[in-house]
Parts: sequence; C-alpha cells; structure tokens
Amino acid sequence: MELSDLALTPGIWLALVVAGGLLGLDAVSWPQIMISRPLVSATVGGAVLGNAGAGFIVGLILEIDAMRHPPLGAARYPDTGPAGLVAGAGFAAAGGSGTGALVTALISGWTMGWIGALSVYARRRLNEHLLSPVEDLAARPKRLERRHRLAMGLDFARGCILVAAFLIPVAAMTRLAAAGPAQPRVLGYAMAAILLSVAGSAGASARVTAFGIKGWPLLLAGAGVTGLVMAVAT
Amino acid sequence: MMPQRSDRLAAWWRTFAVQGSWNYRTLVGPGIAYGMLPLLRRIHAGDPVGLRDSVERNMRSFNGHPYLCAMAVGALARLEYDRVEVETVDRFRTALRGPLGTLGDRVVWAEWRPFCLLVAAVLFGLGISPVAAAAAFLILYNAGHLYLRAWAFVRGWEAGLDVGRILHESWLDRAAGKLGPANMLLLGAAAVIAGRVLVRQAQYGPVPWALLAGGVLFGVLAFRWPRRGGRLAVGLLLSIPVVWLLAEAGLN
Repeated sequence: MELSDLALTPGIWLALVVAGGLLGLDAVSWPQIMISRPLVSATVGGAVLGNAGAGFIVGLILEIDAMRHPPLGAARYPDTGPAGLVAGAGFAAAGGSGTGALVTALISGWTMGWIGALSVYARRRLNEHLLSPVEDLAARPKRLERRHRLAMGLDFARGCILVAAFLIPVAAMTRLAAAGPAQPRVLGYAMAAILLSVAGSAGASARVTAFGIKGWPLLLAGAGVTGLVMAVAT
Repeated sequence: MMPQRSDRLAAWWRTFAVQGSWNYRTLVGPGIAYGMLPLLRRIHAGDPVGLRDSVERNMRSFNGHPYLCAMAVGALARLEYDRVEVETVDRFRTALRGPLGTLGDRVVWAEWRPFCLLVAAVLFGLGISPVAAAAAFLILYNAGHLYLRAWAFVRGWEAGLDVGRILHESWLDRAAGKLGPANMLLLGAAAVIAGRVLVRQAQYGPVPWALLAGGVLFGVLAFRWPRRGGRLAVGLLLSIPVVWLLAEAGLN
C-alpha cells in the first residue's frame, strides 16, 4: 500500500499534523474555542481528505462517548482533538464506508484519545519544572511570560507528534479493514455492538450532564420522539 | 497608576491562555499571573519590588474554570490597584477558588457545551451538511463563551472584593438548571440520529425490535450506573475486532 492509496500526499499529511497541534493546544492551553471536540476535529479530518460526512459520523459517535468525561476537577479525560482528527481522516481515507473501517476508526480514535491523555499528564508534570522556582520568575516577569509561552509551544508540539505518529498507521489499518467483515453474522454482530455501544454511551453521558437529576424519562422521550419522526418521515 | 483600556484588553486577551502552563503543583496560578501582568505592570509602574511581590503572590496555587478565571484576573488586579491588605487578598483568593471552579464546570462543561454539541447533532439529523453542523456548534458555543469571558473580566475588575455577591446573584446557576432537561431530550435524539446514520452507512437494513429494546434498556441502565455502563459500551466496541478475528480464524 502506498501513501497515494490513502489520499495522503505529503502536503495533506503536513496540514493534518499542524492541525493536530492546533487541536491539541485548543483543548486546554489556548484558546479553548472547542475546535478540539471530536465532532469538529473529526469533521475537519474528513474534510481535509474530501469527505467531511465520514469525519462527522466518526466524530458524532466519539463525541457521545467523550461527553461522559467532562474535565471536572482533577478528572482525567481523553484528548479528543488530535484523536478525532486522525479517526475522521482515517475513515475518510478508507472511502467513508464499510463497517470494518468505521470500527477501526472508532477504536483508533478512542485509543489515541487516552494515549493523548497520558501525554497531557506528562506535559503537566513538565510544566511543574518549567514554572519554578516561583521567586525567580516573579523577580523576572519576562521570564515568566517566556516560560508560559514555552509551555504552550510544547502543547502544540505534543498535538503535532501525536498526529504524526498515528495518522498513517490508522489510515492504513482503516483502509485494510474497509472490506470486512465479510461474514453476515459478524457484520450483524458488529452493527449490533456499535448501536448498543452508542446507546450505553448516551445513557452514561446523560447522567453526567444531568448532575444527578432523574432524567432518564426525558432521555427516552428525546429518543422516542426522534425515532417516531424519522419513522414517519421515511 | 490606573490601568488603561489597552492594558485591560491585553489582560482579557491573555485569559484565553490562562491554562497554558497548568501544572499539578500551582495549577492555574502561573496563568493567572501571566494574565494579570499587563495590568500589574501599569499598577506598579516605577515600583519593581511591588511588581515582584505582586507577581509572586498571584503565581501561587489557584484553580477555577478557565473562562471564569477572567473574573479572578480582573478582581485580583483591582485589589492590587486599590492597595488592599495582603492578608485580605490571600483570603479572598482562597475563597474565590471554589465558586469559580464549581460554577464554571457546571454551567460550561456539564451544560452549555453538551447543549451546543447536541444542537449541532440534531441539526445534522434534520438534514444540514456536516460542515454546517460543526460550524453551527462553534458559532453557538463561542457566542456564549466569549460573552462569559468578557462579562467575567469586566465584572471582576469593577467589583473587586464584591465578586462573591456578583457570582451569587448572577444568571449562571439559573441558566445551568434550565439546560439540564434540554440536554436529556437532545442526547436521546442525538443517540437515535447516530444510530440511524450508522445503519444507513452500513446498509444494514431494518433494525430488529429486540436490538432496539436492548438499546433502550442498556441506555437506561447506563444512566443508572454510568461508570459501568460507559465501560461496557467501550467494551462492546472493542469486542468487534476480536469476534471478527475469531470468525476469520474459524473460517480458515
């Protein structure tokens, strides 16, 4: 398999790596306008490879799962910016179709999100050293400004490295998986598992946004009304 | 010296990077000092010792929601300008951490962001293009985000020590309470939309009633036990390649 088979020219690869840096930066460091949410980052990844719709599908499913990990207190949460970008681009590289490709993109996005979370942890530990001793930095505020910007630069580099490391392997795996699964029973299992997974993620995420209210009847009402409307419309 | 409008604008702009050097020892403290520097340089113009002491005080451990940290930056700078006693500033700083964190997390991360994302998902379900849906999320979300950051900074600078009252009387808590039920409805709708897209994408055909019923039951159980439900949801996804590989191996 060659890079051109994955629709990844060196220019596109570089653009996605730089975009990964920006998305990694956005989640925490700057400017937190939420381009790092999987719904956006995966759509961007898909759009760069000419299939925004494929990216959006991956982003929507990753988003429903990511919603159950809000950054409350000291909680750890997946780094969804670079992960969504790679997953969306991977699915688009596989033509935006095929259950095998979709499953591979989703699992890659999920895994990469948690690997990204580890890199965020490591960066925060590094920041402890960058931003000390306090007395020294307070005496020279310009140095404080430089260190603060350096910490942001490292966050940008972290996002770039993640995308550079994962983009081609994920795109290649997604492409290879696009043809399968061939057996109808496995295909049926895959579809059922994805649908149940989305339902479970939605339930768990709803509890997080509900902040303890007894909201499941509303959750079911939203699902039921939408299902009915769709059934009538089609 | 009184900070000028340009200093306040520069400080507000820097609040976007308030978490740029977040770390486990001083949390967002260095970011607060970084944000305050344009104001502190003006307030302590010609007084390097005063500037040093002030930066050191404000670099100490602090935490809060990043958007509402703009309020801390404004209020703490105001106390510096008003020459409030250091002990009072320290107590104020400690007291401010809790409300800025809890309120911001609840309003923005738990309610506003999911609301905007789910609106975008539902718009997609109604037929708008993926790019337009993603753009709709960014526009809607950031309208609230930018307003909150600007409101927090301005009110912080104006109120100084009185920000506790401002927060207590603000619209933030009421807004969060109203978005909760809307998010429930929207999340149910988004899950169905995602399911429909998946079924279409895979050309799967009609979804069996048993699977629909299983999805509803699993969703409710995951709501009741979110941690276990979430893990099981991920486990189901991860089981697919395993089943696939086993089936392929059995076939050959």
